[in-house]
Amino acid sequence: MAVDITVLFKASVKTVKTRNKAIGVGFDLPKEEIFKKSRPKHGFSLKAKEVISNITKLKDFLLQHRKDYVNAGSLISSDLTRMTDNERDQIDQDAQIFMRTCSEAIKQLRSEAEKQVIPTQIREHRGAVLDLIEIYLRGVCKLYSEQRAIRVKRVVDKKRLVTEVPENNVSLWEEGQGRVEDELSPEEMQMFEQENQRLVSEMSNLVDEVRQIEGKVVEISRLQEIFAEKVLMQETEIDSIHQLVVGATENVKEGNEDIREAIKNNAGFRVWILFFLVMCSFSLLFLDWYDS
Amino acid sequence: MAASVREKQAAALKRMLNFNTSPLKNTAAEPVWKVLIYDRFGQDIISPLLAVKELRDMGITLHLLLHSDRDPIPDVPAIYFVMPTEENIDRICQDLRNQLYESYYLNFISAISRSKLEDIASAALSANAVTQVTKVFDQYLNFITLEDDMFILCNQNKELISYHAINKPDIMDTEMEAIMDTIVDSLFCFFVTLGAVPIIRCPRGNAAEMVAVKLDKKLRENLRDARNSLFTGDNMGAGQFSFQRPLFVLADRNLDLATPLHHTWTYQALIHDVLDFHLNRVSMDESVGSEASPSGARPKKKNKKSYDLTAADKFWQKHKGSPFPEVAESVQEELDTYRAQEDEVKRLKSIMGLEGEDEGPISSISMSDNTAKLTSAVSSLPELLEKKRLIDLHTNVATAVLDHIKSRKLDVYFEYEEKLMSKSTLEKSLLDIISDPDAGTPEDKMRLFLIFYITALQPPSETDLDQYKKALLETGCDLSSLNYIKQWNLFSRVMNSGSQFVMEGVKHLVLKQHNLPVTRILDNLMEMKSNPETDDYRYFDPKMLRGSESSTPRNKNPFQEAIVFVVGGGNYIEYQNLVDYTKAKPGKRVLYGCSELFNAGQFIKQLSSLGQK
Repeated sequence: MAVDITVLFKASVKTVKTRNKAIGVGFDLPKEEIFKKSRPKHGFSLKAKEVISNITKLKDFLLQHRKDYVNAGSLISSDLTRMTDNERDQIDQDAQIFMRTCSEAIKQLRSEAEKQVIPTQIREHRGAVLDLIEIYLRGVCKLYSEQRAIRVKRVVDKKRLVTEVPENNVSLWEEGQGRVEDELSPEEMQMFEQENQRLVSEMSNLVDEVRQIEGKVVEISRLQEIFAEKVLMQETEIDSIHQLVVGATENVKEGNEDIREAIKNNAGFRVWILFFLVMCSFSLLFLDWYDS
Repeated sequence: MAASVREKQAAALKRMLNFNTSPLKNTAAEPVWKVLIYDRFGQDIISPLLAVKELRDMGITLHLLLHSDRDPIPDVPAIYFVMPTEENIDRICQDLRNQLYESYYLNFISAISRSKLEDIASAALSANAVTQVTKVFDQYLNFITLEDDMFILCNQNKELISYHAINKPDIMDTEMEAIMDTIVDSLFCFFVTLGAVPIIRCPRGNAAEMVAVKLDKKLRENLRDARNSLFTGDNMGAGQFSFQRPLFVLADRNLDLATPLHHTWTYQALIHDVLDFHLNRVSMDESVGSEASPSGARPKKKNKKSYDLTAADKFWQKHKGSPFPEVAESVQEELDTYRAQEDEVKRLKSIMGLEGEDEGPISSISMSDNTAKLTSAVSSLPELLEKKRLIDLHTNVATAVLDHIKSRKLDVYFEYEEKLMSKSTLEKSLLDIISDPDAGTPEDKMRLFLIFYITALQPPSETDLDQYKKALLETGCDLSSLNYIKQWNLFSRVMNSGSQFVMEGVKHLVLKQHNLPVTRILDNLMEMKSNPETDDYRYFDPKMLRGSESSTPRNKNPFQEAIVFVVGGGNYIEYQNLVDYTKAKPGKRVLYGCSELFNAGQFIKQLSSLGQK
């Protein structure tokens, strides 16, 4: 288990201070302190902290209104806590805009960091910081999409219950009509009832199908999300491969040029050597003729 | 001890990385970024426990060595995890003066002395950075945990506490003291992390006894110091439900020199013997492609690949102790299951009609089924990829090991040594094997001969010895290790009755379930059996008020937990043997530790250098 010796450290600091005073070594403390306090904070970390605080605000906002949004209570709840659908849509829109701005800010920070000329370690550090912020943002987005999925489900459930209610109204109305118009023959009543039943079963079939399709759509959207992610990953990889291939073509072209030049130089060099040898032999012949 | 020592150490590290507060479980917590600075000791401790990804998850953006060039990153807190040595302290003071980071959290792997603390304090004062030094901690983590139940002392500077260093004939008292202090310090840290005060048993008359005496003294001092005791109150942790204290058995390498030289047959031990295996990382040469390179072209470069064998690798955890043929079969099985799953996914693709162009109406019945199947397939894809990676890894490693086995005929050696160590009749004579030109490297032959020499009840006659020596020299072996063994043997034969190496062979299986000497000793001590070998062992109990020299154990019940520590070096064969022993006895837990981990080759080198003196 770790032992906290910060207290011991502070005690050592005091000891050293008193010891230094006793020896007479002094430090210009006041000046240094003022100087240190006015040290400017780096732009990058300020901005990064800003982005994080924004995301935290979004998270707090979502969590705060989560209960109302989801409306986990019964359908008939007190008006104070109930949210209208408009408000919910508003929240959705706001959250989306917010998330988009945050991811834009992150991208901007990243491109800025790339452009700046800074030593490698700081560059790595900033890249990692941006990654962390992105992961945080993704977590918060997940919160939001979970909430939304719950809401969609509840809406679907509500609609299902709502369709069952008017059926009662129809039958009541039918009965009302029957009381008013006593001349309605029992056959007609039976016919009406049969039609009723038929309509009910048709409606419930439709509703079932709609629910099934809804479920499938949700699944498909999830899959689509996963695929989109993977495709984006592949895109970056393909981009890098593309860069490499372009670089390789350039290199090969340059290599060809260099080889051609080398051949030319070789040929040129050979010509000069031959010329030199021929000149030497001619001069020998000349000297020989001159001497004889 | 519900959590293994590995989990405890990992938890302690995570706490430290979270600025020494408990890590929050909240998944969507705000990221706080920090920089981790370690020295080589810290690196060795952290690397088997936390992967780089886990560090990233905890918010560590950069991890750097203490003595590298570091750029100032002025607005980031820095966590230091270093040993309190002179040069480290100097470097920290330098960092403080250069104002590299915003705040400093200093964590020392073992306890720092007061004077060094004052050095840091004065540097902080002169740099006016006292407020920046936010926290200073003594982590007491000076040991490396490799497995859930195995630990070693240190990897850096292991020559200082190696078998060679402890046993060399011209060792000075001061050197010995220094070595003992290092070992005791690490063991003390180990027990602090474990949170238990053990009962110590050790044999008489060797390095193990010295370690035991010192450790006992240190534990006793710490327990007496009621204010600062590390073993009381909340330090014991909520998981301390064991009513018994663990048994700590100290053994000396000199007890059993044959085991480190033994050729082995289990997967993990083989990897350690044959390939380059350090701190759970295997590195090996991998030749690129096996096609014949055209003449005139540059030879294919051999890549050096390294793999991490971690606790998350299920195949590794299951098979690291299995004999090698089993491992090969299992890899094949895993490959088959993986292929089947892959085919499933591919079949799904064709059903969905993705390869064809018919976008016409697909029957709705198969549609619903397919969506579900597709979802499950997609979600299982990452798992499949991971599995494939592991299978590839193990295939490569197993192939490399197999190549070595085939070229050096290690199976022959293994069988022969098993027979030697269990005193059954030998079919081939030793001379035949030694003079066989393509059965292994000279090192292998040396090992075989040394085992023969050690396990023989009587030393072989002079003529035999000369014969063997000649044969060995012909194959190019280095005989200096033999000299050392001879000296050691004479010494030990005088001390003991020479009945140390009788193995309890049970059945004639390929890998017999016999107990190595270390395991036997542990068994005797844990079960409180009476055995002439172990009755002579000394008994220490740091919790007893009177430091007594009595060797009568007070506790008559068998122990449930034990920690075995071999001074002078250990290896995976002993570890595997202990693991097998523990499996046979449910409810008991055994931890294995050693001052350093060497394989047979390294051990022979140490013996040679000892023999040359």
